[in-house]
Amino acid sequence: MITLHEVGKKWQGEWVLRDVSLEISQGEYIGLIGPGGSGKTLLIKLMTGLVHPDAGTVTVDGQNLADLDARGKEALRFRMGMLFQNFALFDFMTVAENLAFPLRQAGELEEAEIAGRIQTALGEIGLSHAAERYPIELSGGMKKRVSFARAVIRRPPLLFYDDPTAGLDPVTSAKIFQLLTTIRESGDTTAVTAGHDLRGIRRLCDRVAMVGDGSIVHTGTIGEFDDCRREPVASFWEASRAEGWG
Amino acid sequence: MTRDGPDNEHPPPRGTPGWGQFIGDVGRRALEFGRLVRENVELLGLTLRYMVNGRRRRGRIAEQMYDIGNRSMLFIAVTLGFLGMILIFQAGYQAERITGDLQMLGPLFLQLLFREFGPTITALMVATRGGTGMAAQLGTMVVTEQIDALRMSAAQPVDYLVVPRFLASAVMLPVLTVFGILVSFAAGAVTANLAFNVNYYTFVDIGMIESFDIVIGSVKAIAYGLVIPIVACHAGLSVSGGSAGVGRATTDAVVRCSLSVVFLDFLISGIGYVFMAL
Amino acid sequence: MMEWLKVVGQKSLAAIREVGRLAELLWRILLNLAPWRFDGPETWRALYRVGVQSVGIVVITAVLTGAIMVIQSGMYIQQYGAYGLLGWGAGYSVLREVGPIMIGLMFSGRVGANNAAELGTMKVTEQIDGLRALAIDPVAYLVVPRVVAMLVMMFLLVIIGNFTALVGGAITSQLILGVDIEVFFWSLRTYLEMADFWHGVGKSVGFGFAIAVISCHFGLNVRGGAVGVGRAVNASVVGSAIAIFMLDYLVSFVTI
Repeated sequence: MITLHEVGKKWQGEWVLRDVSLEISQGEYIGLIGPGGSGKTLLIKLMTGLVHPDAGTVTVDGQNLADLDARGKEALRFRMGMLFQNFALFDFMTVAENLAFPLRQAGELEEAEIAGRIQTALGEIGLSHAAERYPIELSGGMKKRVSFARAVIRRPPLLFYDDPTAGLDPVTSAKIFQLLTTIRESGDTTAVTAGHDLRGIRRLCDRVAMVGDGSIVHTGTIGEFDDCRREPVASFWEASRAEGWG
Repeated sequence: MTRDGPDNEHPPPRGTPGWGQFIGDVGRRALEFGRLVRENVELLGLTLRYMVNGRRRRGRIAEQMYDIGNRSMLFIAVTLGFLGMILIFQAGYQAERITGDLQMLGPLFLQLLFREFGPTITALMVATRGGTGMAAQLGTMVVTEQIDALRMSAAQPVDYLVVPRFLASAVMLPVLTVFGILVSFAAGAVTANLAFNVNYYTFVDIGMIESFDIVIGSVKAIAYGLVIPIVACHAGLSVSGGSAGVGRATTDAVVRCSLSVVFLDFLISGIGYVFMAL
Repeated sequence: MMEWLKVVGQKSLAAIREVGRLAELLWRILLNLAPWRFDGPETWRALYRVGVQSVGIVVITAVLTGAIMVIQSGMYIQQYGAYGLLGWGAGYSVLREVGPIMIGLMFSGRVGANNAAELGTMKVTEQIDGLRALAIDPVAYLVVPRVVAMLVMMFLLVIIGNFTALVGGAITSQLILGVDIEVFFWSLRTYLEMADFWHGVGKSVGFGFAIAVISCHFGLNVRGGAVGVGRAVNASVVGSAIAIFMLDYLVSFVTI
């Protein structure tokens, strides 16, 4: 489904990501973990084609992203949804307009059906009362939920969740992961989830890749991570568990 | 003390900076100029392409037109009003001293407003008010990942954000120019009446205005209207580095838009002169 | 109707308050200037920074302005064949009016805007409060050196700008209008007085002072993070443009 082959990325002349290879197959849920600033967001942006690699190739759905023109990428992104770390809600649109935007962009649905879908989506995230509010009037948890709803409203098969619980309290975090799990159970989706919340990732994902020092340090199933004694994987995994997140 | 200001990519040297460094800094800016021109031309090309085969955008253009007009009307009224008074003061004084004939003051002033000051000063004001606004808006959208979110929704940022601003500004600049000329001329008329006792009927005389003046004024206004949004949006879209980057983009937008206006003014005036001389 | 009056009233009150705070800053700057009490090295650095930022832009603007005014005068002069008046027509308008206004607007866009953004960022990141905590007066340490630097630089820039504008005008008159450079400069020397030159220079220094005070004022009063800094930059350039035209009007009114 998604293949990274020896991908590298430079930032201001320095390699911040180097020699990253990763294979994600259809229907798989993979978690990206690692310390802050290790390049998890960058990896997701490389997979979505928002950032171009300086070395290596990124292949999605059998298509090399470097070969796609603007229209090709547009077509591919109809099959993608992304939840942004800092919400990235359009601040000049209401919540309902934010959700309508990806649907209108697809141009296939009638306005009445779009309104219906928004109603349902808002009901699912428990924000039916906030349809006409602007993002600036929402709390962090509410923005996260709207951003999630916007990511999945086209029901895309490929999902990217960039730190879905950043800065949220444990109760809200659990609710968000509940939403992600519901999506997983309701259809054939593939997802990449970056984050610190190991408890959530353990529940949602099949496999984990740990990012550190500009490359992937270790990949494996949850069980393999539990058994891994290699540093720095073991101490990162242990520390997160000791905090009560594991 | 740390200096976290917008120009910290070239931190000033501690102690006494030398002339060599000074010339080096000026040179670096000159080199960057070529890259900027290329990127702006590319953005213009992309904008024109999406204008032809982009998506429908009902309402977005009207929204932007209102925004540009609403931001700049009062500002243009104040600045061009004062400009009218200043120019009539200066010109009236000279005319009284040299020829004593104030008959032509109004018609000549109107002609000069059409040819030069109306479109150019209006455009400089739109660049100052509207250009910075566009750069700040788009820059904030880059920093908060809204541009990435647009892309992920399968929208093209240039199509969705730049094209409406481009079209709105191309329509609004001529409109605002006419408004500016009216305000400036009215302010000039009052000044001429109060300071030099020129009758309003003598002052308000459109006899000098020929089709040449209207054409050159319109060409200028439209050209400014096309260039300002491109340059401002480019400054906004190329923001990097958080909130300090937004500040930098805003200042870049003012300077680059103003310089573009002055350069276009020179170009169009020059071509206009050659046409007139033929 | 009442709603409208309320809005107008609120806006005027806000504007008056803004002017009052500007006047207060002006007063504190003058207090620091009079006994010459400000940071020397900081002033030198500010001078350097302002110079690097603005020289190139002012030179380009001036050359183009000179050229434009020659073309505009040329349109009239060509009608009457009075080529000897070209230097006077272009030079008079450049030196007295158009030059100072254009250079002032550019200076405001480049230096004033940057200054507002810089001070605003310092305010938002609590560096200004940090200075106060060290018992350093931000006006003496940050504002006054910038004001002095902008005044001095504006003076130099207008002289450089006038010179390059006249050169640009002379080249244009030769290349586009076909009027000899010598005729152009003869006309300048014959019909223009030093008073015209000093009129423009004096006015420009006034513009520089206004831009400095206004940009420092909006920079120091930033509130609300990155968005606030953007607003301050906008307010600074808009306020400076209004100040330039108003000052210019006052000078024209008083000197005539």
